[in-house]
Amino acid sequence: MTESMTTQDPRGGVEIRTGFAQPSPPPDPDAEPVFRARNLGVKYGNKPAVHKVTADFSRNQITALIGPSGCGKSTLIRCFNRMNDLIPGATILGEVLYHGENLYGPDVDAVEVRRRVGMVFQKPNPFPKSIYDNIAFGLKVNGIKDNVDHRVETALKGAVLWDEVKTDLKKSALALSGGQQQRLCIARALAVEPDVILMDEPASALDPVATAGIEELMQSLKEEYTILIVTHNMQQAARCSDMTAFLTVEVNEQTGDRTGILVEYAPTATIFTVPKDPRTEAYITGRFG
Amino acid sequence: MEDLHGLATRRRYLAELQELETKIQVMSVAAQEMVEQALRGLADNDQALFEPVIDADDEVDFHYLDIEHRVVDLFALQTPVATDLRLLTALLHINHSLERVADMAVNLAKVGILAYGLPRSEPVLTMILEMGGIALRMIGASMDAFALRDLDLAFRLPEMDEPVDRLNRGMITAILPLAGDQRLLEWGMRMHVISRQIERMGDQAVDIAEQVAFLITGEFREFTDASHPESQL
Repeated sequence: MTESMTTQDPRGGVEIRTGFAQPSPPPDPDAEPVFRARNLGVKYGNKPAVHKVTADFSRNQITALIGPSGCGKSTLIRCFNRMNDLIPGATILGEVLYHGENLYGPDVDAVEVRRRVGMVFQKPNPFPKSIYDNIAFGLKVNGIKDNVDHRVETALKGAVLWDEVKTDLKKSALALSGGQQQRLCIARALAVEPDVILMDEPASALDPVATAGIEELMQSLKEEYTILIVTHNMQQAARCSDMTAFLTVEVNEQTGDRTGILVEYAPTATIFTVPKDPRTEAYITGRFG
Repeated sequence: MEDLHGLATRRRYLAELQELETKIQVMSVAAQEMVEQALRGLADNDQALFEPVIDADDEVDFHYLDIEHRVVDLFALQTPVATDLRLLTALLHINHSLERVADMAVNLAKVGILAYGLPRSEPVLTMILEMGGIALRMIGASMDAFALRDLDLAFRLPEMDEPVDRLNRGMITAILPLAGDQRLLEWGMRMHVISRQIERMGDQAVDIAEQVAFLITGEFREFTDASHPESQL
């Protein structure tokens, strides 16, 4: 797609035609925000791990969180399904609105949050059960008892695994390849009909073919779900995501505390072609890491 | 964040980017010298100056292919992004523009050989040399803007191109009065071809300046648009 327009050049006061090729449409700026983080922070004991993140994460978009080790990407993403509640000493600061409601409000059930905001981890973690039971178990835990066969099939189809396993549903999940195991974990998350899927380095333990499979799956999943992905692989972020958030680490010279901060958050094409902040530029061009 | 400049792989990458920038400036000087010598051949009516221009094209072609290969290698091996990405795409475009300028210099020399020995019109020749001088300054200015990352200088290129376009448009009017003398008319028609080549050189310099603006701002700007003359600078 090519767009062109005429602008007034501020230097010469003359009109200049501008044109630029866009390989894919930019993310919809008016998309409904699923999460709104406002001065969101996390402390472990007295140590700040993530400091004052303010950003909106929109429906049916893939948002990638990138940054050097220790910048708080995983800590941040875990705020969105209250996984940090399970870590002793962790304190959440600021506010996360989920469809406009305070995710950490007193009446909010953290278990229900985790059903609606599913999570896929770095290493595939199937239960030592059959393929079928891996998905049925999640349903059972969440109190879903009707149409289990149909739900299992739908979830496996959603994770593009059905055709590979439909004749072997009783086979142990541990006998699947790494890529299949990860897709099974995604199917397990889909089975309980979530709204959002959080992915923490979902392909870092997989070979390139399996990685491509996960990336392809993400593209189809975003039609129905909102996806936040933490990745160390910048090319993966560039290939897959609509929006990219770059976080970095600030070191307090007095205390030595290392705190993650959000440096820049923009459409992925902007981050990888014209980043605004020199720290983003330095990181993605490999000059600092 | 840790400073990764010291890592050997990053050092090699950054050194290669720097070397490509140096190399394209060398190529630019070679292309400008070809244009200059072809114009001198026309000014001095010295046929001996034309053949070396044609020979010199091999050197520019060598630079062109070398830069092209090395940029493609960096795309494949280093997955450049941000400023590095814009630099490498700018290098590809500028490389192509300079190769075209050198080809145009060859055309000037070849047409100069064909026109040699024919009677000449001093007013037409003056126009050609004026156009050539401006086009040369434009190429130099666009490459200076590239080296210095000088956006203001890059934006001045369309303005510099105006007299080149104007002189080119006036060339037919200057040549038609030569129609009474068949040999003089033949020379004039040869000069019309040269005029068109020089006008294109000016356009190549503007294209280079557009790449410089893209490199600096991240926004690609067509400074001029032949199909929408009302929006031209």
